[in-house]
Amino acid sequence: MNDSTIVTDSVKRFKWVGTRPIRPDGVPKVTGRAMYGADLKLPGMIYGKILRSPHAHALIKKIDTSKAAALPGVKAVVTAADLPEQKNEFIGPERVAVNFWHVTRNILAREKALYEGHAIAAVAATSASIAEEAASLIEVTYEVLPHVIDVDEAMKPGAPLLFEDMIPRGLAEPNPKPSNISKRLEFVMGDIEKGFASADVVIEKEFTTAAVHQGYIEPHACVAKMEADGQGEIWSSSQGHFQMRALTAKILGCKIGDLRVTPAEIGGGFGGKTVTYLEPVAALLSKKSGLPVRLQMTREDVFKGSGPTSGSSMWAKVGVTKDGKIVAADAIFKFQAGAFPGSPVMNACLCAYSPYDIANARAVGYDVVSNRPKSAAYRAPGSPIGHYAVESVIDMCAKAIGMDPLELRIKNVASIGVPTIAGPKHAHAGFMETLQALKAHPAYANPPTGPNQGRGVAIGYWFNGGGESSATMQVNADGTVLVATGSPDIGGSRASMAIMAAETLGVDYNRVRAIVADTGTVGYTHVTGGSRVTFATGMAVVDATKAVIKDACKRAAMIWDVDPEGVVWEDGFAKPAGANVGDFKPLSLAEIAGKAAATGGPITASAGVNAGAQAPGFAAHFVDVEVDPETGRVDILKYVAAQDVGRAIHPSYVEGQIQGGVVQGIGWALNEEYIYNAKGLLDNAGFLDYRCPVASDIPMIDTILVEVPNPVHPYGAKGVGEANICPPMAAIANAIESATKTRMTHLPMSPPRVLAAMDAGQK
Amino acid sequence: MTATVTFTSGFARKYTNGVREFEVEAANLRGVIREMEKLFPGLGHTLEEETNVAINGELHETGYFQAVPPGAEVFFIPRIEGG
Repeated sequence: MNDSTIVTDSVKRFKWVGTRPIRPDGVPKVTGRAMYGADLKLPGMIYGKILRSPHAHALIKKIDTSKAAALPGVKAVVTAADLPEQKNEFIGPERVAVNFWHVTRNILAREKALYEGHAIAAVAATSASIAEEAASLIEVTYEVLPHVIDVDEAMKPGAPLLFEDMIPRGLAEPNPKPSNISKRLEFVMGDIEKGFASADVVIEKEFTTAAVHQGYIEPHACVAKMEADGQGEIWSSSQGHFQMRALTAKILGCKIGDLRVTPAEIGGGFGGKTVTYLEPVAALLSKKSGLPVRLQMTREDVFKGSGPTSGSSMWAKVGVTKDGKIVAADAIFKFQAGAFPGSPVMNACLCAYSPYDIANARAVGYDVVSNRPKSAAYRAPGSPIGHYAVESVIDMCAKAIGMDPLELRIKNVASIGVPTIAGPKHAHAGFMETLQALKAHPAYANPPTGPNQGRGVAIGYWFNGGGESSATMQVNADGTVLVATGSPDIGGSRASMAIMAAETLGVDYNRVRAIVADTGTVGYTHVTGGSRVTFATGMAVVDATKAVIKDACKRAAMIWDVDPEGVVWEDGFAKPAGANVGDFKPLSLAEIAGKAAATGGPITASAGVNAGAQAPGFAAHFVDVEVDPETGRVDILKYVAAQDVGRAIHPSYVEGQIQGGVVQGIGWALNEEYIYNAKGLLDNAGFLDYRCPVASDIPMIDTILVEVPNPVHPYGAKGVGEANICPPMAAIANAIESATKTRMTHLPMSPPRVLAAMDAGQK
Repeated sequence: MTATVTFTSGFARKYTNGVREFEVEAANLRGVIREMEKLFPGLGHTLEEETNVAINGELHETGYFQAVPPGAEVFFIPRIEGG
């Protein structure tokens, strides 16, 4: 049961938008018949296995694959030598840091193994067990090197260097030396010193967070089938099959058009399946063997070989007046990028203060490599980490001046026209409405009063995404409708696309079937990520639907033998625009579709958009906890999450997104962490030792859907998938402080750490 | 129609000799990019490949087709990707 509230001032009413129809992908999933990445079996298919580095940092002196290749049943063995070299240059945006010299080395190591689990070579054989045995027969001669895991250690002069020639970008000092620092970023607005001088209270604190994994249930998996003419097909579980196609083509050195990628059902991604690990290797093995190849990760592979989000070391400082005005803020964010540059530190810099109206602020970020798997996106990448530090210090400020922490946020929240630290001014409302909705929740007036209990408040901001999406609509002979998009469905997009199509077309939701189409049958669509799909792909669906309506009106005009301008579309029917057109009985879509051949052929339309003016995501949470003083265990007693959702197209999915983000945040806050030993090896590469929250760990999470529609979107949708993971870590830390007078400055706040901090009287 | 084009300080240091604000005559982003390319050859490509843009605060992927209203604030920022 979900204690959900929808707060809306909308007077507009819809027939399907805002309803909760049964999800179209539900039956195949609950009956176990949905096809995930590892479920496809092709005739003649063989099985791949990747050999991974047992060392955190080592030179690869020699790889001898002869024994593996000679094993009966082995059809192909590949190493990085089978892939073309890439240029060492950053292509495109700094944040993504797409440097294919790095990307190809992450897929198959070349000169060095840079982390435990780094892929070294791969084999394909007629059975999984033969492939496993063959991988063990590959002889790799390593020269083990000193390693560095911790971000602060990696930044020190004299730290073991992952790339001996990597010169930091963005440093002020002239002629910087090679370093593990990939780049430094700085964003400033106003006058920091003047701002702090005007504060009555200034508080600063250092924080650290552990690397955490997205924890998707389904390990990475794909099947590749390359033909002798160079064309190939890939079936893959990912957040973007167009992205997989482009990355694989670049890594293999083939044309994008030579590859066709079909999306499998996806068992979670949360950002971690926007990058490729397996597809180029599977394609290479298939090319060499002439057979289809399935490649999939084990859970251990996922932990060791795919990207978690960054761990961090941070410092934040906030100045506030006695009456609660935040007058200055400063922060330094140092993020682990993993073995190759490209952490989401810029997002932390840009998001941490964005919910606030602070005239004087600075955010400095460092992107730092160390001997860990290359970091990957994870739900609002970077933003939750920065928010943990800044929201913790803001809570300390509220307590120092004796102000309710939610009131402090209300007093300082940004509104339209307030500049962000990146420069642009806020253009959308919804922040204040969300804070007021949280304050109005009945439980807010009743904070916990028991011993060792306390409440914490925090807020979170995420940009949300727009960008390129495509959709195709086909009208069938019986008037049912197919909607095909290129967005893998990881958050209910098939239901929301069908709802928006049904609403626009004026037909029953159950007459619309939404599918995720492959790269050969629908136009380019950017990844399912950045909370962009309902917004951007939804706009493409509405555009395609409108084109179908226009065509249907033309067909009706032809049937009635009248001018096309004399036909209008209302509630799913073509009708005469006025009495002067003639006395015609309205035509349903089914009746028009039945005459499709006579009126010009199939009724179909496609649309492509590059959607902009997406509104940002904003979330405000409060949480009540109880801390066991004997063990340090933290129990979540109550959790309430309010979020500006624009308009909830399918409220159940929106509630699910909010609850999912909160649960992942609770895990990040209390238990999840990558634990490395002295050799730089991961000690907890499995769900038994890497502790994700389970149902018994958490109470029902109350959601408040605050509907402040985005006027740019036909139905007011805003991205809802990410802002919800930004507040939980700080909210829980703030609640622990309220309960115990102990300030937790390291994530996770696991029982031993809480106990140690309480014993030490940490403030 | 005049628009104000602004860059972050880091971007300005790297590409426009530290100058952060420019006044340009343009009706859409294509015109803005072309005007900046005239001032700093090569900058147009960089803007297209490495930035997002906010027009009066509304975020977009940097393209050609977006309209730039008279008096608009056009702010180029580093490109952002989500999870």
